[in-house]
Amino acid sequence: MKKTWIIIEREYLTRVRKKTFVISTLLFPLLYVALIGGMGFIAEKSKETLTVAVIDSSGYFTKEAIEAENQVDPSSSLVLLTSAPQQNNKEEENGYDGYIEIPSLNWQQGTDSLIFKTYKSYGSASTGVVEAKLNRIWRRILNDSLQLDLSKQAILAQSKIGLVTKNISDEQANSATAEGIGYFAGFLVYFILLIYGSQVMMGVMEEKTNRIAEVIVSSVRPFQMMLGKILGIGAVALTQFLIWIVFVFVVYNVGVKSGTSMGFMAEAVGGIQRMIGSVNVPLILGCFAFYFLGGFFFYASLYGAIGSAVNEDMREAQSLSFPVTMLVILSIAIMTAAVANPTGPIAVWGSIIPFSSPIVMMARIPYGVPGTVPIWQLVLSMALLIAGFLFTVWFAGKIYRTGILMYGKKVTWKEMIRWAFTKG
Amino acid sequence: MDSILSLKNLRKHFESQKAVDDISLEIERGQIFGLLGPNGAGKTTLIRMITGIFYPDQGEIFFDGKKFDPQLDVAKIGYMPEERGLYKKMKVGEQALYLAQLKGLDKQAAKQKIENWFGRFGMESWWDKKVEDLSKGMGQKLQFVTTVLHDPSLIILDEPFSGLDPVNSNLIKDEIFRLAQQGSTIIFSTHRMEQVEEICNHIALVNRGKKILDGTVQEIKQHYKQHQYSVSGYGIEKLSLDQAPFTVVSQKENTLVIQIAAQNNSSDVLRFLLDRNIQINAFQELLPSLNDIFIQLVGNTPTARTFEKI
Repeated sequence: MKKTWIIIEREYLTRVRKKTFVISTLLFPLLYVALIGGMGFIAEKSKETLTVAVIDSSGYFTKEAIEAENQVDPSSSLVLLTSAPQQNNKEEENGYDGYIEIPSLNWQQGTDSLIFKTYKSYGSASTGVVEAKLNRIWRRILNDSLQLDLSKQAILAQSKIGLVTKNISDEQANSATAEGIGYFAGFLVYFILLIYGSQVMMGVMEEKTNRIAEVIVSSVRPFQMMLGKILGIGAVALTQFLIWIVFVFVVYNVGVKSGTSMGFMAEAVGGIQRMIGSVNVPLILGCFAFYFLGGFFFYASLYGAIGSAVNEDMREAQSLSFPVTMLVILSIAIMTAAVANPTGPIAVWGSIIPFSSPIVMMARIPYGVPGTVPIWQLVLSMALLIAGFLFTVWFAGKIYRTGILMYGKKVTWKEMIRWAFTKG
Repeated sequence: MDSILSLKNLRKHFESQKAVDDISLEIERGQIFGLLGPNGAGKTTLIRMITGIFYPDQGEIFFDGKKFDPQLDVAKIGYMPEERGLYKKMKVGEQALYLAQLKGLDKQAAKQKIENWFGRFGMESWWDKKVEDLSKGMGQKLQFVTTVLHDPSLIILDEPFSGLDPVNSNLIKDEIFRLAQQGSTIIFSTHRMEQVEEICNHIALVNRGKKILDGTVQEIKQHYKQHQYSVSGYGIEKLSLDQAPFTVVSQKENTLVIQIAAQNNSSDVLRFLLDRNIQINAFQELLPSLNDIFIQLVGNTPTARTFEKI
């Protein structure tokens, strides 16, 4: 046991002292925020300003109505034409991105099949603006036709019946928040499994190609060597994660103090407070630690076994690790289904079976325990995950012991499984 | 006899071959024991069982008089495998410290011993260098130091001189003699027979998983000698070989290599020569070299072991 500690210490310290650890710890949250922000930014950027010709046969879309609308929202503009442009005309020749022919309409019925003819394809963000403009014009026409004055219009705009789903067996109410946290937690586990799992594989390969493996196994059991590596790298992952938690905590507290003076900060702090208020934070953090560690042991030992079986060749490692990586990716696919329907059979079984439970269960838990996730499911899932990683660690240990001293031979999964189940 | 290591009927079978097939050995304390054999003979498997890396399928190992316990006894064994290396990115000092701690030394004691050995080998300035910056020979020296650092009572060296220049080879060779003199037992595995003759006092030859030879270097040479002598003397070239108790194998000026006939001995040869007034300058028994014995015993086995079903 003492020797395992010495190995853990080396694995941990050599990684934590590296510059890449510091950089990745600082950069990952920034990249994560940049990724989410960037996606919004790109969506906003890809919204194009369109100039659309309108050929009106209904008599409702008058020049005045259209000009009034163009002043309300200048992002895209409508132009009234009396006749349709030639079908084969290119946009450059007539100056329009597309045109809409409005047939004669009954104001009491409207239409849901107005056709927007374009010369190119545009995203829904761009065409949505055009639709919104037409709808606003139509709303004014309706207001006039129904003789609604401003006060009645205001009542129509404001008075609504909204539906909020509340699962009464859980404290949690807001399913949008749960969905967000579920996605976030699931993806975080996913990243950790892939990034740190492959670190274990690379570490084992390094020992094999450096030819230090035999020197070390003459001092410690191969199993201790493998376990030391997995635990050491797991501790690195945990450290990184704790740094992020502390980071969020500090930013949050600074935000709370200075929140009154900075508008956007106050908004963010308010958002976080609402979010924290609506979910069981200690439960989620506790489960996260469990599933992150359990899943890490489960996958890291498999990656370690692969690292021990291959030679220097990176391609060999990739082809052997493909089935394992596919399991992780499959878990993400199941998670997407689980977030959409957290009590469906895919979600329930996906969160119980060990290979996918670390990711899928983390996506379900924010919806609430014991409402969405009954206690028996959580307990069964945890017990199976423990049994699962004990099995993979044992299985990997058997493969590792044979593989780490074997050079020059290309190994298949079939052989690795045979190593695991033969005596010795 | 005071054996530090005794192997009793060890067997280790792999899927396609009997790597070690019923080998028994006694290795005495303080010996420099040569474990010889062609590639794939089973030497490495045998060593891996002695170092606790493999468990034997059958047979027993006794270390220091007691049944071998890999957990405890590995601390008393130093093993330098043929396939050896170090962490490239780690500093030399840290690396030595790490390996010593894995052998069970505490940090302070390990540090002191490392400084001691580094001083002996003139390696003090290497402490903060990375292993990847060392030359191959420097790496081998460091490897040797990490093998013997924890004062093991049994040191196993597999091809220890590969990658070393003559100066460093001698340095290591002197250390091997010194350690043996201080009571350590050394098992030395190699294909280089001239090194074995120079260093070892006892050898065992393994082929196809079986021990085919075991004894002191002198005993073995005596056993495989072919009763050949080299004789030189004035006028010997003109000697009539009528009724000679020997036949001439080769002749170079006034030196003959002779093969004594089965019923005769060396005194008969001398008597025969003296009777004929030959002035003898030199008369010496020619013992076969270990290399000759090695080739004679294993030369007709195929270079690679064929994989057979067992």
